[in-house]
Amino acid sequence: MQAMDVAHTLQSKALSDAGGTRPSRPHLRLVVPTSPIDGAERGQLDDLMVAVATRHDREAFASLFKHFAPRLKGWLWKTGSPSEEAEELTQDAFVLLWRKATQFDPQRATVGAWLFTIARNLRVDRRRAVHDTWTTLDDTAVQGVADAGMGQEAELSQRQYDERVRAAMLRLTPDQRTLVQLSFYEDMSHSRIAAELKIPLGTVKTRLRSAASCLRNLLQECRP
Amino acid sequence: MIRHHPDDSLLLAHAGSSLETGPALLVESHLEACSRCREIVRGFERVGGQLLESEAAQPLGQSALDAVLARLDAPIRVPPPPVVRRKPPLPAGYNWPRALRHCQVSRWRPMGPGMRWSRVTVPHDAQANVLLLRIGAGKCLPQHTHTGTELTQVLCGSFDDGRAVFGPGDFDEADPDILHQPVVQAQGECICLAAVDGRLVFDSWIARLASSVVGL
Repeated sequence: MQAMDVAHTLQSKALSDAGGTRPSRPHLRLVVPTSPIDGAERGQLDDLMVAVATRHDREAFASLFKHFAPRLKGWLWKTGSPSEEAEELTQDAFVLLWRKATQFDPQRATVGAWLFTIARNLRVDRRRAVHDTWTTLDDTAVQGVADAGMGQEAELSQRQYDERVRAAMLRLTPDQRTLVQLSFYEDMSHSRIAAELKIPLGTVKTRLRSAASCLRNLLQECRP
Repeated sequence: MIRHHPDDSLLLAHAGSSLETGPALLVESHLEACSRCREIVRGFERVGGQLLESEAAQPLGQSALDAVLARLDAPIRVPPPPVVRRKPPLPAGYNWPRALRHCQVSRWRPMGPGMRWSRVTVPHDAQANVLLLRIGAGKCLPQHTHTGTELTQVLCGSFDDGRAVFGPGDFDEADPDILHQPVVQAQGECICLAAVDGRLVFDSWIARLASSVVGL
């Protein structure tokens, strides 16, 4: 069976919820970026972030929250956080997005990627019972300061870069895409992937390596 | 110059925070030293951002936005960081990776002529098998293989294990099918951070005895 089929099958294999207070979590569910944000909307989101960074614009912040918070909660929940934790982490991530707004560099990351790294680091902190992300953003992930005066040219090339990254994901085979996406799931060890996809452990490693290296090459090609 | 890097799949798993404790510490230590790998991780994080953007929405609590707005400018109360435990000194000019800042590092213990080791204790994961090896110039580790994967990040010095020479900042991943005998180069001692998944299996019974004492 193809990994793609398995991922779809697993979509319906829901984990039962002990408390019965939250919806059951699809164990593994494939996300294909089928409804990409178009370039114009992406530009608006980045503009909102620049408004937050340069003017402490609360309305812009609220717009970003309304757009991203439900997606972020959905993503955290699906990739391993219980519902309550996903809600807390989402709220914390937005408080940090405000606090660290001047560190957002539109030349190096989209708002989505930046929020992703903040939330991911917060979740890692929680697992490690530390508070590193509150005291300093992961400096290997984001460096630099907001540049409100960024030229049209740089902005355009960033948007083009993002489109090309999206295209790169679609150029992976369905199997490779599934494995890339599984790398964003917590506790998804190689042996667990092997068990879920019913393929030998060695094959999982080989395929993961080939998928990751294929993605890296595609990303390198599309860097502006 | 760094010549050996973590496999792309390790960097991808780091970007997605799906690495286990030991490998996560090793990859983080490498990233501190390697701008090439940091750049690759940034690309993978962009993919993470896109996955997030195309994620199905899940409603938050009704007052979530108000709760966040109320916290925006309130003082942050962060508990004081855990006491940073002293670590044994490294040779002049070398520092402990920041990735180890919450870890306890034991004193150097002898494990053979010219060979010392130290246990790295990770506070949040007692099961993580992370250690430091400090091997004198010209000395070699007994020939061994692994029951699982062995990840190594060179902190200082260099060694040659017959496959390649590994120097400061280099990263190595040795699978169970690799039987190797790292030999430290003559210029100076070598200190490596290692994460072992499974056990090291030494060829000789003396080395096996030593490893059972050390707990490798």
